[in-house]
Amino acid sequence: MTTSTIKTAPRRRATPRLQSIGLRVLTFAILIVAAFAIVAPFAWIFRAALSPSDAELYRLPPSLVVNDLTTANFGKVFEQVPFLRFVLNSIVVAGSITAAQLITCSTAGYAFARLEFRGKNVLFAIVIGSLMIPLQVTIVPLFLVMAKLGLTNTLWALILPPIFSAFGIFLLRQHFFSLPKDLDEAARIDGAGHARIFFQVMLPLSGPALATLGIITFTYWWNDLLLPLVMINDTQTQTLPVGLVLLAGRFSSGSLGTIAAGITMAIIPVLIVFIIAQRHIVQSIASSGLKL
Amino acid sequence: MTNTTVRQAVGDGRKPATHGGEIAPKRRTRPGDGWAAAAFLAPSAGSFLLFVLAPTIGVIALSFYSWNLLSDGTFIGLDNFTRLFSDSRLVAVYRSTTTMALAILAINIVIGLLLAVLLETRMPRIIRGFFRLSFLFPFVVSSSAVALIWRFLLNKDLGLVNYWLGFIGVDHIDWLGSSAWAPVAVVLVNSWKTVGFSILVYVAGLQSIPNEIKEAAIVDGANAWQRFFRITLPLLSPTVFFLVVINTINAFQVFAEPRVLTQGGPGDASRTVVEFIYDTAFQSFDLGYASTVGITLMLVLVVLTLIQFRVSRRFTFYG
Repeated sequence: MTTSTIKTAPRRRATPRLQSIGLRVLTFAILIVAAFAIVAPFAWIFRAALSPSDAELYRLPPSLVVNDLTTANFGKVFEQVPFLRFVLNSIVVAGSITAAQLITCSTAGYAFARLEFRGKNVLFAIVIGSLMIPLQVTIVPLFLVMAKLGLTNTLWALILPPIFSAFGIFLLRQHFFSLPKDLDEAARIDGAGHARIFFQVMLPLSGPALATLGIITFTYWWNDLLLPLVMINDTQTQTLPVGLVLLAGRFSSGSLGTIAAGITMAIIPVLIVFIIAQRHIVQSIASSGLKL
Repeated sequence: MTNTTVRQAVGDGRKPATHGGEIAPKRRTRPGDGWAAAAFLAPSAGSFLLFVLAPTIGVIALSFYSWNLLSDGTFIGLDNFTRLFSDSRLVAVYRSTTTMALAILAINIVIGLLLAVLLETRMPRIIRGFFRLSFLFPFVVSSSAVALIWRFLLNKDLGLVNYWLGFIGVDHIDWLGSSAWAPVAVVLVNSWKTVGFSILVYVAGLQSIPNEIKEAAIVDGANAWQRFFRITLPLLSPTVFFLVVINTINAFQVFAEPRVLTQGGPGDASRTVVEFIYDTAFQSFDLGYASTVGITLMLVLVVLTLIQFRVSRRFTFYG
């Protein structure tokens, strides 16, 4: 389609205007198809959550109009699994990891960007090298250590392993590089030590960078499936991603409406936060690429 | 290799200290910095030692043992490593992982760029915002929810995807149950979730290209294709490089999609290495061998990253 437009253009001497209208129509067609492919599955699952019977859901084509909406499916979710516990556990886990990483990464990022000390380059090379050792590789010894410490089946087993983040240190080091050096030199002349410079000069200027790391870390660990699957064997301590799989059953044995209701309840809060904080989330994720 | 890269990345103009530290009088290191650095690095160093270094040593140590959770392990020397070479299942799993990873990478890099460029064309702000949000939304939804939704949609007889494909004459595809299509399903679902991230990073990269350069090219008579391939793409190369590295590392760690969609099957058709490690360790309780496979994954990631950094030095243009 694109190539034919290009090829025919010079021969027919189409005015640039006509050509550009064709290209714009094509552009919008592609974008609309792509957006539909993203939005339609969510719309379908939301509708499934509100439908009374599974037979209705499997009818093809799906009827856009739902005659008798019901919220019964949502009640069934709470009967089958401790859904609120899943949500609470997920909030505690993702929130704690985020808070811990903000501390470890901002302090280390500051040290690598602003302090002079021996072995800095070697240490930083080690940080970057550890990017290549993801948690998936070390999951077996991590499990054994947590089991030895008696922490499996507790949220600690999910919170502790991701506290160190090479990505986060790198991101915040780049951010501290970008702040003008005059700032801390002025503070130093005024007699401030590193702790004061860090807390009273640097951190107040780091809101957006910290938010970037916070949003990326929170979404990543909110969504993680592997760690809870390995560490947690007790339904009450499970997080939301595994909880949804439990609800669905291994081979889709549960009722479709109930599963859809569970998925919907997992997605709607994310959607609301996403829409409210959209500008910031978009900025954060976009800038993660620019800063590296 | 890593060292030089890092030194370039540091780029703060500090000369590398070549002489012995104690007798170099001109070092500008203030006496207090060492202690301050130790304090600032302590939280990271502690968590690094406990949760990165110790488990890494652990994974290497475990690979010399036969260990099944019930009893303490027995030392078996290099048996796990020789087993790697005769394990035809592992070869098959690596083959399917690599194929799926390449496809996920290609979709993110190429389709992501296409959609990002289209997003940057002239359009009302509110429409652009709508597209951008829809593309990004799956990225913040959990992989297991995404995979569960698609498990319904890709159902062979009752799924919407096959129903719609029927209109263009495609017969019912067994997305989740056939060894030809199961990997395709995993690739599509994973890319569907991640491509929004790539699009957004591309858009940020595109916006950072100064308009003057494009305008100058228009004045010089360059057409849209020339402008894209001669100006936009070279200036975008650091972004492309970043996305290649990130997407490669991510694509080799896919776990949730095959786990929920296909259980790695049928057979091992859509099993990824991470899923293989999980199964070996926590379903067959063969912890020693699972660790050995973990080491191979680590080596693959190290080699791939080093290659990418080397290649990037030739092709990446940092204006």
